[in-house]
Amino acid sequence: MTATTAPEAALGVLPRADGSARYSHAGYTVTASVNGPIEAQRRDEHPYEAHVDVIVRPAAGVGGTRERHLESLLQSSLSQLILVKNFPRCLIQIVLQIEDSPENDYANTKLVQASLNFGIMPALFQTSVLALLSAAVPMRATATATAVAIVLQDGTRKKVIDPSPREIEAAKSVHVLAFTSRDELLLAESEGDFTVREWDEVCEIAERVCCRSTVTKEGIEMMLDDEVADGPDTRHFLRSAVEDKVAADLHWK
Amino acid sequence: MPREAEPSLSEKQFVLQALQENLRLDGREFDQYRPLELTFGDQYGVADVTLGKTRVLAKASAEVTVPYADRPLDGIFTIATELSPMTAPSFEVNRPTETEVLLSRLLEKTIRRSGALDTESLCLVAGQKCWSVRVDVHVLSHGGNLIDAACLAVVASLRHFRKPDTSIEGGVLTVYTPAEREPVPLSWLHSPFCVTWSFFGEEGEIAVLDATWLEEQVRVASCTISLNRHGEICQIAKLGGTPVEAVALLQCTSVALTKAKEFSALVDRKLAEDLKRRDKGGLMAELKAENDR
Repeated sequence: MTATTAPEAALGVLPRADGSARYSHAGYTVTASVNGPIEAQRRDEHPYEAHVDVIVRPAAGVGGTRERHLESLLQSSLSQLILVKNFPRCLIQIVLQIEDSPENDYANTKLVQASLNFGIMPALFQTSVLALLSAAVPMRATATATAVAIVLQDGTRKKVIDPSPREIEAAKSVHVLAFTSRDELLLAESEGDFTVREWDEVCEIAERVCCRSTVTKEGIEMMLDDEVADGPDTRHFLRSAVEDKVAADLHWK
Repeated sequence: MPREAEPSLSEKQFVLQALQENLRLDGREFDQYRPLELTFGDQYGVADVTLGKTRVLAKASAEVTVPYADRPLDGIFTIATELSPMTAPSFEVNRPTETEVLLSRLLEKTIRRSGALDTESLCLVAGQKCWSVRVDVHVLSHGGNLIDAACLAVVASLRHFRKPDTSIEGGVLTVYTPAEREPVPLSWLHSPFCVTWSFFGEEGEIAVLDATWLEEQVRVASCTISLNRHGEICQIAKLGGTPVEAVALLQCTSVALTKAKEFSALVDRKLAEDLKRRDKGGLMAELKAENDR
């Protein structure tokens, strides 16, 4: 399996959930279901806003602290996007089921305790945003995320977008950044050793991946020439996935 | 979590009356399954079963561990069935419901206790090292007849699965990574399948195969028969209070055998197709380390 495959997405894949999406990119495949707003349990109920519940389920083995960590990251950034104040005492439940993740062919994995890392975060993030859109949950903006790793290669530090498990293992530091559709930084998490300058460079790269604008000129979408494909154009991809779904659903019109 | 909405009285009556007039809401015959789809993932041991609106994903995985002290010659084989809120919001994490308990018990009885997987072959060093094979069943959507779909998914994923190759030389155990040696299949003895009958009516006189979620909520009893294509029955579980006549059950078992043969043929066909897809350039035979029997 190559890591440079184009992203794929399908919306509304599960018949019984309010909204669902399946997204696969760079070897990761994630299915998400969104139910909401539904009745919250007493312990989760908040008098002024909706509670956003994110559950990450690994493909094999039981989830541990790493999954809880990713859940809390997703939960805090997604509750920034969702208009939680509109649904007091409610629950918006997002379940992310990992179906496939690229394996490191050079090591035998321990599987009973699943341990996820930052490499999967972009896939989890994009899937949950797509599922929320599919469930028609009101949101302030959409958002896209990307992972960047700094790998030491031949004495120079190279930055890799969407790193493979092997690259993450060898990386000096791994960063996950998410940007909203208004180019605001939503999430910035880092792991490992890095300098402030390196982080600035990583941020710049991530911004280029997430916020690459397709400039609209007189109704024609044009790509900027100087930003030739490094990494997928996630925001545009998200948009076209939803557009396709809407077009298919309103076909009868 | 909100409770699952029960069908209304008129909805129940409608389903029952239709069944009494030999009709099903989706226009199927009484002994007809919904369209069954089986796909395998890019990795070994990932099987995705779609049965109408029911969708189950099973993933097999293996790792080397220490065997149980009372069974030093056996490997470890577990089936994990945890229903997530993805199935329905009424399911909660870490709180098993009746559906989940029944599903895991039936899968346990059908696949584990019928000896479908030879656990002795999973032993590497007696009392010290063995393989632990684990199958995770993920129910993505519950549209009725979860048991049959889950059983098929687990069997398909285990037959598709390949565990890393190992060798013992001079008492030193080596586990080869996929990059070093092509992984090897499990020692699989027979493929049991579940066939679930649902009974309707006062005395359970109407028997229906592959009930949908609505039909499952209306039925008075159900009977799950697990058997392989040779007609060897692994278990029969008759659930629900209403008694069913013995002759009717015998008839159900004979129909179940034809269904099990169909499932077996489907899994064989899909596995062969998948093997062909992976065998690019016909190099697979040379990569294999095991000898033909």
